[in-house]
Amino acid sequence: MARTTVDLLQGTLDLIVLKTLSWGPMHGFGIARWIQHTTEDVLQVEEGSLYPALYRMENRAWIKAQWALTENGRRAKYYKLTALGRRQLAAESKTWAQLSGAIGKIMTAKRQPA
Amino acid sequence: MPIGSGGDGDDPRLPAWRRYLRFWRANPPGDVNDELAFHIEATTDELMAAGMSYDDARAAARRKFGDVDRISATLYTLSQQRERTMERRERWQTIKQDVVFALRQLRKSPAFTAIAVTTLALGIGANSAIFSVVYSVLLQPLPYANADRVLSLSQSNGGEKIWSIPFGNYDTWRREATGFAAIGASWGNPPQTLTGQGDPVPIATAVASAGYWKAMFIPPVAGRYFTEAEDREGGPLVTVLSYALWKNRFSGDRAVVGRVITMNGQPYTVVGVAPPDYAVFAPAERVWIPLAPSARRLADFSDHELSVYGLLKPGVSAASAVRQLTQIETALAQEHPHSRYDGGIIAESLIDRIAGAQRSTLYMLLGAVALVLLIACGNIANLLLARANARRGEIAIRGALGATRGRIIGQLLVESLILALAGGVLGLGVAAAGVKFLVSSPAQIPRLQNASLNAPVVAFTLLVAIACAVVFGLVPALRAARLDLQQTLRDGGRDSRAAGREQLRRALVVTELCVAQILLIGAGLLIRSSLLEQAVPPGFDTHNLLVVHLSLPDARYPGGARQEAVFQQIESAIAAIPGVQSAARTQVAPIVRTGYNWTAFREGSDGNDEGAVTADMRFVSPNYFSTLRLPLLRGRAFNSGDAADAPRVAIVSRGLGKRLWGDADPLGKRIGYGSGAKIQWKEIVGVVDDMHADGLREDPPMELYQPSTQFVNGAQSILVRGAVPVTTLVPAVRRAVSSVDPQLALSGLGTMDDAVDDSLAYSRFTTWLLTLLGATGLILAAVGVYGVIGYVVAQRTHEFGVRIALGSTSGGLQWLVVRQGLALAVVGVGIGLLVSLAAARLLRNLVFGITPHDPVTFGVVAAALLAIAVFASYVPARRATRIDPLEALRGA
Repeated sequence: MARTTVDLLQGTLDLIVLKTLSWGPMHGFGIARWIQHTTEDVLQVEEGSLYPALYRMENRAWIKAQWALTENGRRAKYYKLTALGRRQLAAESKTWAQLSGAIGKIMTAKRQPA
Repeated sequence: MPIGSGGDGDDPRLPAWRRYLRFWRANPPGDVNDELAFHIEATTDELMAAGMSYDDARAAARRKFGDVDRISATLYTLSQQRERTMERRERWQTIKQDVVFALRQLRKSPAFTAIAVTTLALGIGANSAIFSVVYSVLLQPLPYANADRVLSLSQSNGGEKIWSIPFGNYDTWRREATGFAAIGASWGNPPQTLTGQGDPVPIATAVASAGYWKAMFIPPVAGRYFTEAEDREGGPLVTVLSYALWKNRFSGDRAVVGRVITMNGQPYTVVGVAPPDYAVFAPAERVWIPLAPSARRLADFSDHELSVYGLLKPGVSAASAVRQLTQIETALAQEHPHSRYDGGIIAESLIDRIAGAQRSTLYMLLGAVALVLLIACGNIANLLLARANARRGEIAIRGALGATRGRIIGQLLVESLILALAGGVLGLGVAAAGVKFLVSSPAQIPRLQNASLNAPVVAFTLLVAIACAVVFGLVPALRAARLDLQQTLRDGGRDSRAAGREQLRRALVVTELCVAQILLIGAGLLIRSSLLEQAVPPGFDTHNLLVVHLSLPDARYPGGARQEAVFQQIESAIAAIPGVQSAARTQVAPIVRTGYNWTAFREGSDGNDEGAVTADMRFVSPNYFSTLRLPLLRGRAFNSGDAADAPRVAIVSRGLGKRLWGDADPLGKRIGYGSGAKIQWKEIVGVVDDMHADGLREDPPMELYQPSTQFVNGAQSILVRGAVPVTTLVPAVRRAVSSVDPQLALSGLGTMDDAVDDSLAYSRFTTWLLTLLGATGLILAAVGVYGVIGYVVAQRTHEFGVRIALGSTSGGLQWLVVRQGLALAVVGVGIGLLVSLAAARLLRNLVFGITPHDPVTFGVVAAALLAIAVFASYVPARRATRIDPLEALRGA
């Protein structure tokens, strides 16, 4: 398994979690696995650090938590995007697209600076 | 993905005990542990599915997760923050609910709301208006840069405060008192005539030393103040303009600094413009010129002339600076006996100097208006009690539905608070009108003009409103929340504890009457004092007497003989006007200003013993006594024979003669003043009656009159007695003056009656306000009695019906009701009398002509309150007699 460790910025983790939750409610473990699978193990988030991010976003009312049963009949805390969280996701993905586009242009630049 | 639809309570897997925990409050530690445990279990399961043993899988899961303890600690903190936010939000929610509910309740009874809010608006507004005056006159910091380190320095004379300081003493203090960074003096001069700026106008003039500006410093608007070099004999003629003068006569032009203006014919260079704050002390339009004391004046230690202010050096305490000054002054007093000072120094703060005379009256007014508000609060509390009674059903149901007592009290208090705040906000409008009215008062109260609805006044208003809410809301709220739920619901909303509530309402009314009694006695004492003061006969005929002040410029009229001749000419010209009965002169007219206070003594006195006294000196023309219609008791008036070079003569008032010679005849006796070789002796040629020359409230001063020829003043007042109404003579008087010298400007033109009125303005102002407050208090108390007795009658309709059916006469029935009102009044008035007797001493410095325990006032007020209580109960009593027995019995 080729492993590339990428240090994530705080805001970036928030964006990733919000995007993950945009598919539907999920518990912390589910979020961690989904990120892992989707990025094909490139982003190896230390799983514990996911939770403070979740709690902070809950305090900001971007997401809402609720206890429910899993498919296996276990109790788990599910997180769900709020309307505020959706707006936040939209705003942050726009910023992210601009930022990554800009960095992409620089990285693929052919001309030397004048 | 299966998602539970509800909150924690819906979860079937949640242990029962945890559910209870959650019922009381969130359980963050439990939730965090559960959540993390789930994560680790899920990872373990995943790894076991991939073939690991349980122990290995679990260890790997923990590794993968990271530091569980650290993370869960972070999560606790985060979830606790969240809990706190939610609690806050919940509290807000509760308050919001209470407010919305209260508003709905108040809207439901618009009459009650309107009465309560209006009463409060008037009561709170009146308090704010008076407070704004108190704030602006007494509390607002003075504008001077070092106001808290400036002392007004007065001499003491047997404990009496002498504000005017001789030049010599001032100069000695200035040179020797090291505790002060600056000692300054100022003094009001006669007005000067400003020419070259349109028509000649008199300009109020003050002299001020260079030190005065240092002590009382506020940065000038333009230019600078006087330097030490300008404050010397023979120094340059310079002047500082007041802000108002600069704005009005020099159109606020900064280029005026450096210009030369002509006053009394002399060229003064304008060096600066003072800010408007200096208007505290005197007329807004004025100039200052340097004190520049002459060597002759600096050698004078007995003429009391100057107001003196000292700025304490940094780090020096007032006590030590004054102690040193007292040593200096004690030495001066020993060197200069019989100069009307005993060596003591009376130092007071600037604010005491400026407004000390008003302090007690203003606080007394504030107290009176607070009492009125207290009575108003009593009435509102009574209304609330009646309302609580009507709402017993509602409150009982809310209690039964689980509202705690605290919540019900809170709810009712929120209603009170809304009423009070609404009253407060409307009260600000009332206060705005009140302030406007108070500021327009003719009473001369320093800094009154600054009164406005500024931030401290608004804050005070809010505070008063909140205090009101507690005062009138707390007792009814506590009372309402003490309901016995079952009992009330079983009664079907009828009151089974009416008796207790009635007791409380009676107690409230008794308190109201007691407060009204205190208020009315205070107001009554001061109103009576003021009426007595206004009824004092002045001792001379003030009617149809015109006063005008003239000052001759030294530059054009050098020398006393010349000045006296011109004044004689002017007096004759005025006396010759048809319609003028007579005209006379003095250096300062009575009532308008006091004369010169000098020590006078009889022969044989050393000027410092029983034979010496402070006399009020006036220098008058021969017609003075006849023009004032002041009776000549013995001897003669002055006449043209009393010329400058004739033997020196004097006329004394009856009081002065009696004080110095007892029952012996003062005629032919000699009276002296001055000290050492400068003592002047005068032979007494006449005795005139006493008069209240210093104002009606003051005792008649001991007057020493001398002929104006033998002591010439460059500024004199002319008194004109009219045979026709004097106001019609004003144009002719102006013409007569300008026929002698067209450059002279008249100042202080007015009638003596107006001057007397002005001297009474402050006392009238307070009397008027107290009358208003007293009447309001009386009406409110009457309304309170009416409310309670009316309520009693309504409660006992059934009983009265029975009585009427059994043959009670309407007289008997009326007495039955009125007796209850009277009983309340007797208790309230009785307690009020006792409290007033104890508290009246506070007014001992404010009453005039009566003691603070004046039996007339006490009696009249008590009788008035009893009468009004009887009247207020009589109205419902009549209603009781008109009860239809059939209907009353059927209704039961």
